[in-house]
Amino acid sequence: MRKLSCRLATSVAAMALTAGPASAQDLTAEVIHWWTSGGESQAIAIIADEFAARGGTWVDTAVVGGANARAAVLNRILGGDPPTAMQWNIGVDVVEIAEQGLLNDVSAIAEAEGWVDVLPPLVVENAVIDGEFYAIPLNVHADNWMWYSTEIYEELGLEPPTTWDEFLVQADVIQEAGYIPLALGGQPWQERILFSAVLVGLHGNELYRSLFIDHDPAAARDGRLTEVLETFRALDAYVDQGSPGRNWNDATNMVMTGRAAVQIMGDWAKGEFSAAGMVPGEDYGCAMPPGNENAYVLVVDVFTFARTEDPDQVAAQEALAQVMMDPEVQVAFNAVKGSVPARLDAPVGSLDMCAQIGAAVLADEANHLPSFSMAMSSDLGGAIEDAVTQFWNTPSLSAEDGAEMFAQTLEQAF
Amino acid sequence: MLAKLRRDLPAKLAVTPSVVIALIAFIGCLLWTVYISFTGSRLLPDYEWVAFAQYERLFATLRWQIAYSNMFIFGVLFIGICLVLGFVLAVAIDQHIRAEGLFRTIFLYPLSMSFVVTGLAWQWFLNPTLGLQAVVRDLGFENFVFDWLVRGDRAIYTLVIAAVWQASGLVMAIMLAGLRGIDKEIWRATRIDGVHPARVYWHVVLPMLRPMVMTAVVLLAIGVVKSYDLVVAMTGGGPGNASDLPARFVIDHTFQRANLGLAAAGAVVMLVTMAAAVVPYLYSEMRRRER
Repeated sequence: MRKLSCRLATSVAAMALTAGPASAQDLTAEVIHWWTSGGESQAIAIIADEFAARGGTWVDTAVVGGANARAAVLNRILGGDPPTAMQWNIGVDVVEIAEQGLLNDVSAIAEAEGWVDVLPPLVVENAVIDGEFYAIPLNVHADNWMWYSTEIYEELGLEPPTTWDEFLVQADVIQEAGYIPLALGGQPWQERILFSAVLVGLHGNELYRSLFIDHDPAAARDGRLTEVLETFRALDAYVDQGSPGRNWNDATNMVMTGRAAVQIMGDWAKGEFSAAGMVPGEDYGCAMPPGNENAYVLVVDVFTFARTEDPDQVAAQEALAQVMMDPEVQVAFNAVKGSVPARLDAPVGSLDMCAQIGAAVLADEANHLPSFSMAMSSDLGGAIEDAVTQFWNTPSLSAEDGAEMFAQTLEQAF
Repeated sequence: MLAKLRRDLPAKLAVTPSVVIALIAFIGCLLWTVYISFTGSRLLPDYEWVAFAQYERLFATLRWQIAYSNMFIFGVLFIGICLVLGFVLAVAIDQHIRAEGLFRTIFLYPLSMSFVVTGLAWQWFLNPTLGLQAVVRDLGFENFVFDWLVRGDRAIYTLVIAAVWQASGLVMAIMLAGLRGIDKEIWRATRIDGVHPARVYWHVVLPMLRPMVMTAVVLLAIGVVKSYDLVVAMTGGGPGNASDLPARFVIDHTFQRANLGLAAAGAVVMLVTMAAAVVPYLYSEMRRRER
């Protein structure tokens, strides 16, 4: 109780700090984001409503598709008409635009409210650039989640698998019973998510780190990656023929309707289940993928603020930052979005069973792994994705050759 | 002298804006792109000189190799099949058949659709679990297989099918216009001489349609180079990157991959390839005109 009132006091004080002089100002914020699906737009509306409740005017510029939104933002910035705030996935790209001097920082408030202490270190590393606080993290998604059909698993008397070997054994049983064992959308980024879940599942966080943080070609050649690729290839037999090009939510739908047993996908998939009125633990199951119990591949949505000298805009940016970092707002937002609050001190007790599992894994720093967008440039990340999809879609390519292709990809990028 | 200038002035003024736009928008952007391709630009332009490093990486990139060779497969098949099919359709319609207007409309109809719609429709139609294959199997032919869309070594041909479906009507319209312009006397003369109509088409009519063929080739070739929407809508470049085309590679690397330098290098290679194909043609046409 005391903790809550204490937190309230600080946030009220901080609000007074900026809201005082700001009340006379025009707090109009144009926000570019790519949250356009049902659950997503409900989630961003929570932020918008709270901003309006605190005296701001929210101008919503939603662009369909992350890549399109980022392209729109860059065009606006280069054209000299930047929005007030814009969404990014935290990572190397944010660092680059910050270093180019295109962003305003919110270091003053960040310091006053001690944000650095309440966020995962991996997020802080990417949000603080040259000592200045640039990116407001709203949530933590994870790439590596397993969604399964409780109906199929109960019917066949199976328990969700804890190793990939076990998954392969079960997959035969599931296929025999006439179901599709693995729902996969055959697009490069989805294949990459499946691939990294296999990689972590077999060789843990260590191999993941040496490949994707250190970009060490030697780690790709020492035989471990070959094993990973062999298991990855074995999964091919359990994916249906309609997979290539399928969207992730269509694959989720296959699990939802009991046509497929398992999908490996980030926890944004939960939004699809929730939108269909399904309850985790009853109508569908969620767990970390086999062997991923101690890994949380962080995908963090952040908002950044365009460089501007206009005092009204700066005030609007600061007010927005405070709304977004409010622990209560983060909990409300994430309850709808399906992710976990970025603030580790946010009260997650009210969130659902899956978010509880996620928050528990997230609690240990050793489990934090950076997603591709955080660990490397979109250029190198894309090149690795190309290698993954090339391997997955070329059955004649051996695991050894696949590993060599990876090593060369890591060497080639500059 | 002055009078001549005064007389020409309005005409010159009228042309100036389009000349300026052409210089800045086309030539200027083109030169800028060439320059960027020699820099290490990433998310944003950066004028650090790296010489041919982007080109070296481009040609070492498997995905580019696939996309580049796909452009030739797609281009040759698409242009070739469209020309043959368009010509045959035009000849068929030119036989003064009944309900000619109806058939002309039907064959031209696909052209009214954007490539995005075409791509999506063909994606559904060729998807083995819900399209043609599934339907034929449901009819009782359990062993029927048509899974080109999901096969890495065949997906590029499904793009050709969809593009041909869309564009052959256009070629037909161009050819038909040409056929209608041919003097009736030629037909009468050849009939009197007892020449088989097929030989007349091949040896007499086709050479006379030369300008139509060239128009069609240029239009289709432009379609090949800018074919981005069709790939994105139909296969997304997949499975894997098997049906990628250079335009998609360039756009991906400009926006998603934040590698402006490499994308510019890809664009320049596209331009050079295009120029290599078009310049000899323009040159020969100009020489013909001079003579």
